[in-house]
Amino acid sequence: MPISRPTDVTATLDALAASPDADLLAGGTDLVVEVNLDRRRPEHVIALRRVTELAGHDTTDGRLRLGANVTYSEVEHDLAQLVPGLAMAARTVGSPQIRNAGTLGGNLGTASPAGDTLPWLLAMDAEVELASPEGDRSVPLANFLTGPKSTARRPAELITGVRLPRVEGPQHVSKIGPRNAMVISVACFAIVLDTTNRRVRTGMGAVGPTVLRSPDAERAVTQALDWDALTCPEDAIDAFGRACAEATAPITDHRSSAEYRRHAVGVLARRALRRCLST
Amino acid sequence: MTTRSVGAPVARSEDPRLLRGEGRYLDDLGHDAFQIAMVRSPHAHARVLDIDVSGALEVEGLIAIHTFEDLPPRLQEPLPLLLPHPSLTAGRTQHLLADGEVNHVGEAVVMVTATDRYAAEDAAERILVEYDPLPAVVGPERARAAEHAVHDDVPDNVAAHLEQSIGDAPAAIGAAPNRLRFRLDIERSASTPMEGRGTYARWDGDDERVRLHTSTQAPTSVRAAVAAFLGLQLAQVECIAPDIGGGFGVKIMHPWPEEILVPWAARELGHDVKFTEDRREHFVSANHERAQVHWIDVGFDDDGRVLGLDVEFIHDHGAYIPYGLIVPIITSTQLIGPYKLENYRVVFDSVYTNTTPVSPYRGAGRPQGCFAMERTIDRIAAHLGKDRTEVRSVNFLQPEEMPYDFGLTFQDGRPLRYDSGDFPASLEKLKQLVDWDGFEERRAAAEAEGRLLGIGLATYVEGTGVGPYEGGHVLIEPGGTVQVSTGLSTQGQGHQTVFAQIVADELGVDLADVRVVTGDTRRFPYAVGTFASRAAVMSGNAIHLAARRVREKALRIASEALEVDAEDLELADGQARVVGSPDTAIDLKVVATLSNPLRYAFDESARIATQFANPGKEGQPPVTDDDEPGLEATDYYSPMSSTFANGMHAVEVSVDPDTSDIEVVRYAVVHDCGPLLNPRIVQGQVLGGVAQGVGGALYERMAYDEHGQLQNASFMDFLMPYATEVPSVDIDHLETPSPLNPLGIKGAGEAGVIPGAAAIAAAIEDATGVVIDAMPISPSQLHEQRLTTAQDRPGDTT
Amino acid sequence: MSVTAGAHERIEVEVTVNGVPRAAEVPPRRLLSDFLRHDLRLTGTHVGCEHGVCGACTILLDGAPIRSCLAFAVSVHGRELTTVEGLAADDGTLHPVQAAFQDQHGLQCGYCTPGFVMSACGFLAETTEPDDDEIREGMSGNLCRCTGYAGILAAVKQAAGDLRASGADPRSQHQPEDDAFAGRPGGEHGPAGGDGGGEVPS
Repeated sequence: MPISRPTDVTATLDALAASPDADLLAGGTDLVVEVNLDRRRPEHVIALRRVTELAGHDTTDGRLRLGANVTYSEVEHDLAQLVPGLAMAARTVGSPQIRNAGTLGGNLGTASPAGDTLPWLLAMDAEVELASPEGDRSVPLANFLTGPKSTARRPAELITGVRLPRVEGPQHVSKIGPRNAMVISVACFAIVLDTTNRRVRTGMGAVGPTVLRSPDAERAVTQALDWDALTCPEDAIDAFGRACAEATAPITDHRSSAEYRRHAVGVLARRALRRCLST
Repeated sequence: MTTRSVGAPVARSEDPRLLRGEGRYLDDLGHDAFQIAMVRSPHAHARVLDIDVSGALEVEGLIAIHTFEDLPPRLQEPLPLLLPHPSLTAGRTQHLLADGEVNHVGEAVVMVTATDRYAAEDAAERILVEYDPLPAVVGPERARAAEHAVHDDVPDNVAAHLEQSIGDAPAAIGAAPNRLRFRLDIERSASTPMEGRGTYARWDGDDERVRLHTSTQAPTSVRAAVAAFLGLQLAQVECIAPDIGGGFGVKIMHPWPEEILVPWAARELGHDVKFTEDRREHFVSANHERAQVHWIDVGFDDDGRVLGLDVEFIHDHGAYIPYGLIVPIITSTQLIGPYKLENYRVVFDSVYTNTTPVSPYRGAGRPQGCFAMERTIDRIAAHLGKDRTEVRSVNFLQPEEMPYDFGLTFQDGRPLRYDSGDFPASLEKLKQLVDWDGFEERRAAAEAEGRLLGIGLATYVEGTGVGPYEGGHVLIEPGGTVQVSTGLSTQGQGHQTVFAQIVADELGVDLADVRVVTGDTRRFPYAVGTFASRAAVMSGNAIHLAARRVREKALRIASEALEVDAEDLELADGQARVVGSPDTAIDLKVVATLSNPLRYAFDESARIATQFANPGKEGQPPVTDDDEPGLEATDYYSPMSSTFANGMHAVEVSVDPDTSDIEVVRYAVVHDCGPLLNPRIVQGQVLGGVAQGVGGALYERMAYDEHGQLQNASFMDFLMPYATEVPSVDIDHLETPSPLNPLGIKGAGEAGVIPGAAAIAAAIEDATGVVIDAMPISPSQLHEQRLTTAQDRPGDTT
Repeated sequence: MSVTAGAHERIEVEVTVNGVPRAAEVPPRRLLSDFLRHDLRLTGTHVGCEHGVCGACTILLDGAPIRSCLAFAVSVHGRELTTVEGLAADDGTLHPVQAAFQDQHGLQCGYCTPGFVMSACGFLAETTEPDDDEIREGMSGNLCRCTGYAGILAAVKQAAGDLRASGADPRSQHQPEDDAFAGRPGGEHGPAGGDGGGEVPS
């Protein structure tokens, strides 16, 4: 297993061009697990930790850019003011040790339907930045995620970061899993009451082949909300939960039944919305 | 005067070494050893058609590849059936490597040896095994339905059928005013210690001896097995259990195929060889337990008194049955718990399935038995509308009835005979501890906050200190150090500390001067093993007896040296001294020197000893016929029967009415293991057991699919509790001593885990109104059961 | 620029472990946990699952706890590592976190213990005055099969107090002469401390 340790994006793309099947190594919390469990024997690994352009975050033209190498710990500790929902999602990620290693780029690249940061990123209409020798492009997350653990990333491309709009308003992320710590969620829900644009944004994890949103539920609750007072009628909250649940396409496996996943995401949706409203 | 240390919460002497990272676990040994990787079956049931190793031969670092055909005839024999039983009429055990057929995912097919584990795995990956898959038998009921057979020559999949009874249960049930019949399920789980299995062997060609380190709970038995399979004399095999990263039962299985193959390969290759199991392997190739289905038929009077109990169950023992019927026999006998059953019939089938074999996991059939009995008592209480503690009280065996012989045969082949316990007093303590009578107020308060609160309890009696024997050796060196050894091994129970406490008290020496070695056949070759909550009872008493002999000898030699009566002497502060006249004293190390006519005059003790020089008795040799040199003794403890510990747990759970999420919010334990040798260690055993009980109730299961594939073979999906899942626990002790042994103690190792599933099921049932008859239970399952229950009971809004 | 190593190539890894520069040539796929255990023979770091769940292999990388089974050795070239062997004083006196684990019966078989100790050191460096819930949360990346966690949580709480009193950085090697714990028995038979302790033979 050869390993490349490039220090800039250009060198990374060169390495990728030379070995298009190479596995990209960020925090190791997915790839090394796969290797250790003998599920994958990489022909070539490209380690991304030293690639300086993938670190950090910045804001330009009112849009926030988070580098692919930003870890859950950095989100939790350094970016909690800037992206509170993402910080909540980061806190639901397993253990302190995993949060110190796992990265946003890794979560995007693995594209698990239960990826912990993905529902919030989807709710925010995040765009995934991809670099390649042909040039850079950015893809809306909804288009980037094409199925369970599959993405629109081309073999020669590198995820360099995500771009998000800066919006005001309360937000909440929560998940349900059969254990509190270090667990693959059976349902995850993210909500942003975008007071800047006066629209409700949502994302749901572990209840479909990719993370999902419910445009119908978002539209209905956006109309039902009193945006000045940040209140919402009880029946609209219940309808919101139901509509979210209906928008899911969950599976039954050893972690949970499909029925429970659907039910749970509805409960999470109602509770998350309530937490964002004025009491 | 030396303070008595038995009974004190002495800090563990093991800890500093382990905390500094100086522990020596199996994989910390043999850095230069060749490493084994196994090619294991990916199929639950298949014929092995062909093994093509050609692709592996190029791998750098490859040393050897062995298949079944490559083994010598003795190693082609199946593993021994460790515990035969007259009812076990179709016992089958595995081969060291598969002989043309695999019967569970994870069964070893090819052994690869290489210079390191990476190379061994590379080579294993390149070996192509062609399989012809056969239908897999998964789950106890499919096994008994016998549509397919696991072993061709056992077409009904039944290895054993056993019935035991007291009185006439069917008649008593038929005549009873009330009768209930229902089914109860417990799923598969496993010990999953943090350290997996491992074996490391050194073959010394000059001495023609093998030294085996293995992560085992039974080193003396592994030694005997290795000698037999390798055609060696016992004197040529040394077996040592190094530091062991947890056992919880799974490491009592012996010999594992690797425990034979590794020393054999070391001898064949003339090089150290090591096998270190990885976690993924552990899930499929180290034994499981727990899976049983029970059918209960119970008759009772209007007070809830059980008049007759009839239990049938199927025990799923997996692909092979090397450990015999221990687990289902324990369920059969320990199901009774603290109750006086006069009409009881229990019958089980132990069946083959194409899953990982079964041997005891902490509790060993007791959690299942406790679940069956305690759910039954709760059903009776619900049927009669009575408080659950009341129904338990009317059924309790009373303290004045001890000892009580049930007329059944226990796991040790001896009568099931309770020696001690005061169940009404324990229940009273538990009710106080958990504030049982104040619960309805707490329930109402929780309801106001939108939470469903429930309370449950479960009781158990646990046979501990199972025979046949253990031994202990105690030696006072001329340098003053006290060397203690016993044959059974240690997996975290603090034996080094507790056994030192026993010896320090008996010999009046400082704890720091006592060195304890366990699980090393070079030091003590006779032992049974660490299981069945027996180490403290068996080895503790044996060491106590050996230390007493050393004490007697020390007093005799000291009395001769000081020219005083032995009765006037005491052992304290490392000396033998005259009671009331402490200046007339002799150091124990000097006594030790005096005990050997050849003084080895190299040290201070020898110099001091010369002033007591005894020319020997006229007409007697220097070592008399009834004496031997050295201040040491060996003794054994062998009880007439097991001693029975008991306990009761109460649990409060909070259930989220919307998500069915279950949280244990209060956990109370009353525990009676007799006098506590070291309260902090006993408490640690109980707390650890409770955590495993909580795990077994809410998080841990072996999720096999219908093809025999284990769906959750990782810690990401086999959900062992973290600190965030384990409640804080209130513990109270009752100390009714056992009359059976000198220390009056009963075992404590397994107790904590036994009633967890039963008590938590009861609390969930109490919180939700849903009958809980299968464990473990997840929020997803509880949610569905609540929906079903609501449909069955229109108008009920839970 | 880029450094690429071939299939059988060995790469020089230089790291500082417990304050000591160490170097070894290893294949690129060598896990950091194996590198520490088998190349550097620091076997105090244990491996319990190799899939990042159990935390037994936790070490500090530049002062922050990580799982050494999820990193390749070559990925930490040039960085500072602290393992459980780097905590006790040179004379073997236990570090306050280690001492607290003994006092509070925070270990049984000891296999998960180095991981817990390292997690606690990382946690207490970040959170000097943790409450009980924070301790539970902070220790929730490590599995223990023996203790039921009560002793571990009590140990972290005790250590937090002891470290506040001494002002020592929990990620540093213990310096017994510098603090109030000098002379604390860290030998084979330390007396019981914490709650319920004290009754020991004289």
